[in-house]
Amino acid sequence: MHLPPLYLDPRVEPLLRSVLQSTDLLHTLVDGLGSPLNLVLPEQIVASVERFRAVYRRHHLSGGIFFAHKANRSSALVRQLAATEAGIEVASLAELQHALGAGFTPDRITATGPKNPEFLWLAARAGAIVNVDSRAELLELVALVGRHGLPRVRVMLRLSAFEAPGVTVLSRPSRFGTPVAEVAGLLEAVERHGDAVELIGVSYHLDTIGLAEKAVALEACVKVMDECRRRGLRPRAIDIGGGFGVDYLADEGQWQRYTSELGNAVLGRRPALTWQGHGYGLRAEAGTLRGTLGLYPAHRPVAAADYLDELLSLPAPSLGRPLATLLLENLYDLHIEPGRALVDQCGVTLAKVLQVRHTSSGECLVRVEGNAGDIGLEARGVLMDPIVVPRTGGRPGPTEPVGVYLVGNLCLEADLITRRMVHLPGAPAPGDLLAFANTAGYAMDFDADHAQQQPIARKVAAYQANGTWRWRLDPQYWPNVPTGEAQ
Amino acid sequence: MRYESITEAIGDTPLVRISPLVHGLKNIDLYAKLEMLNPFGSVKDRAAWSMARPRLDGAVERGDTIVELSSGNTAKALAVIAGMHGLPFRSVTNRMRVPEVKDLLLLLGAQIEELPGQTECLDPTNTDDPLTRIHRMLSEADSGYLHTDQYYSPLNTEAHLTGTGPEILRDLDGRAPDYFIACVGTAGSSTGVASVLRRSNPAIEVVGLVADKSDFIPGIRNIDEVHEVGLFDPDTYDTIDTVTADEAIDGLLVLNRRCGMLAGPTGGGAYHGALRHLRAVDEELTERRTAVFIVCDRIESYLSYVRQRRPELLNQPPRRNSVATLTEAELAAVTSIDVDAARKWIAAEHPLVVDLRGSFAYAALHIEDSINIVDELFEELLHGGLPFGKKQPVLLACPVGEKSVRYAALLTRMGHPDVRSLAGGIIGWRDAGAPLVRD
Ligand SMILES: Cc1ncc(COP(=O)(O)O)c(C=O)c1O
Ligand SMILES: Cc1ncc(COP(=O)(O)O)c(C=O)c1O
Repeated sequence: MHLPPLYLDPRVEPLLRSVLQSTDLLHTLVDGLGSPLNLVLPEQIVASVERFRAVYRRHHLSGGIFFAHKANRSSALVRQLAATEAGIEVASLAELQHALGAGFTPDRITATGPKNPEFLWLAARAGAIVNVDSRAELLELVALVGRHGLPRVRVMLRLSAFEAPGVTVLSRPSRFGTPVAEVAGLLEAVERHGDAVELIGVSYHLDTIGLAEKAVALEACVKVMDECRRRGLRPRAIDIGGGFGVDYLADEGQWQRYTSELGNAVLGRRPALTWQGHGYGLRAEAGTLRGTLGLYPAHRPVAAADYLDELLSLPAPSLGRPLATLLLENLYDLHIEPGRALVDQCGVTLAKVLQVRHTSSGECLVRVEGNAGDIGLEARGVLMDPIVVPRTGGRPGPTEPVGVYLVGNLCLEADLITRRMVHLPGAPAPGDLLAFANTAGYAMDFDADHAQQQPIARKVAAYQANGTWRWRLDPQYWPNVPTGEAQ
Repeated sequence: MRYESITEAIGDTPLVRISPLVHGLKNIDLYAKLEMLNPFGSVKDRAAWSMARPRLDGAVERGDTIVELSSGNTAKALAVIAGMHGLPFRSVTNRMRVPEVKDLLLLLGAQIEELPGQTECLDPTNTDDPLTRIHRMLSEADSGYLHTDQYYSPLNTEAHLTGTGPEILRDLDGRAPDYFIACVGTAGSSTGVASVLRRSNPAIEVVGLVADKSDFIPGIRNIDEVHEVGLFDPDTYDTIDTVTADEAIDGLLVLNRRCGMLAGPTGGGAYHGALRHLRAVDEELTERRTAVFIVCDRIESYLSYVRQRRPELLNQPPRRNSVATLTEAELAAVTSIDVDAARKWIAAEHPLVVDLRGSFAYAALHIEDSINIVDELFEELLHGGLPFGKKQPVLLACPVGEKSVRYAALLTRMGHPDVRSLAGGIIGWRDAGAPLVRD
């Protein structure tokens, strides 16, 4: 049986495409700096900020766009962002230090998540916005301000466990934030400690792609804000967190076909598409598919800034007005914390092909210098083909499409870059590079470690000057600084 | 016809011929099985009653809650049945995307729970999805639930094996049709009917219709989702075909406008899919053939679905005094005044200050002595004429001074001599430090 290849081509925008076409540069970089190698594109993040800002303008809204730093550790991206109007959301002491060092003034920093005492202290001392996770954390902050005679700290209250009118909209329970039902106690504490904290608003971050849940949460926040006003507090902003998503794939048809065929493979109606019949959460029971596909919906026509636009255009579940109108007419600013969506198209991970061989059962294994920790797409459930960047010269013309398994550089049976068979338009050869596009959001350094003393991928910032691509090691990159290179 | 209970009116639905003038087939008689005429409105009345009835006595004794994963019609029928027997009904769904259906279920007393969306920060090793958890909870002994389990229960198919299928045979004088076409949701109706008809005519061709993968047709599955349905057996169908939402709407328009059958989207989809299939064979036929398709439910619950996809079908002629008809010149001619000028004008001439924001926002903070007429309502008022006298000067205020300009232009066109717009709106007012009050 000869079945057509099932490609999952990445969506690649012009800037990323341009760097991927600079074949010599990519090979030179990997030859010099080793494989795997991460490339980030600081110019692109500026464009992302602008796309979100355009949605604000369309709805006449103001407020901050805070990059969720956890999506990528790159200094170049963060420094470039510091040169724009954007803010940054930090979730650890080190992220806060990094942001301060990259040039973010404290008024542009918001500190989220549960905080250890050091993190809390530096945030308070510097004057960042503290997104308070719980009542206990609020009291800890108040004590700290008092003890050290710090100026009043601007706080937002992170809320959770929202309830919808009419229809129960189930949400996964969150470990973070104060349940709205307990908000009265929290507000009393804020009022009591008005000398230590200034309430500037309330916030949420929901880990879901469901718009309905977010509409419920946003309206609930507007109501809590009103309760704050009734108590004489003067909050101004609602922070709706991140989770705007990324559209990873170029072609909807490919994604639809792939997921259909995956189901067929699990049901045994076609040859396996995965290593040892792995089902990505699906399984067959008496000829019926059971379970849930545990994959990121890689084709998302409405993602990133468009997703924000769609959310803001939804009617508030009980008040009926579009959410953007509701925010606007209540005079509230909107804060957002996009992570993945802001670094969309901002990077690529390169890995060198070491060996191509066939197993006795006929499977084609492509071994690369790098492992699943370095190329973190699989861990995030994102299925997307790498692009083969051939070594220049000495290659025969295009070959037959092949299905290969990508294996890594660890001596673990489980060290597959992805458990699915990857279809490529031609078999790669040792020395070629595999370019994994669009890895800047959570797939570069979120999981990378030193297992087996393999090196962690270096990061390079690539940028254009006078129509050619230039690069710096990530720690060496500063925006808008004359480079001294020959012009 | 006299019945003791409304449930006795379930089934025995008419089989009605579609006029050849409408369908244009030369050699095929096409019949619609009008399941929409069941008492609660759909084909699912049969399945709901069949699944619930044998367990009702026990459930009533224990006070169980009836529960089902349903996007609409099964939930509707079960809500009624539960209500008739004094039991609560709960519908758990991630597919309820039609607001009218949702509201109707609430009206019938159902509790609706919507499943959460997929997580954004995916952990692929987590197999504990919400649906699996619910199934586990329902299958525990003494759970307090009567789970009708429409995607797996043989009683669903049974309703059509003993009801729908034999009725079609009877109405065709015992001769099974040559073609049978139906949309597939739980597969209960198509499986039951197909099995009866095939027994009588092994040469019958059965066409199952599902939604196109990128599309959504309320009540049925798409080509991938059918594999998650326990009752679905690919061997039931000679052909599985897809229909798009657009085709379903085209089909329902023909049934609604030309056949007097007020069918919903899946009825329309079945008609469209039937014709597509039958047209391809009609030319080649040398003797008469018969085909039957199912009309599952009625159109009324899907008006917002139609409006969203084909707004032109519901378009009204433009109404008079509408902001949509304003010209650039009319907008440019509006008198907009800044906060300072507005405060002086208010002090000197006491214009009527109309705040166009929503009532929730107005109640929270507003300009003293202003009145609140929310923009939607204001627009409605203006369709009728000027809502205040021409001697009364008016200042319009909205959040940023954009909508107020439009309404000021419209009032000017309607002949009002002194209406002004607050430049920068209430936000500008606040930012200028002017007072806002809360009552
Ligand atoms: C508080 C908070 N804000 C923002 C984000 C960023 O989410 P995303 O990258 O999906 O936009 C996260 C992610 O976990 C978060 O926890
Ligand atoms: C509107 C509508 N059409 C068609 C169907 C399909 O019927 P069945 O579930 O018997 O396949 C359903 C069932 O849910 C439905 O609600």
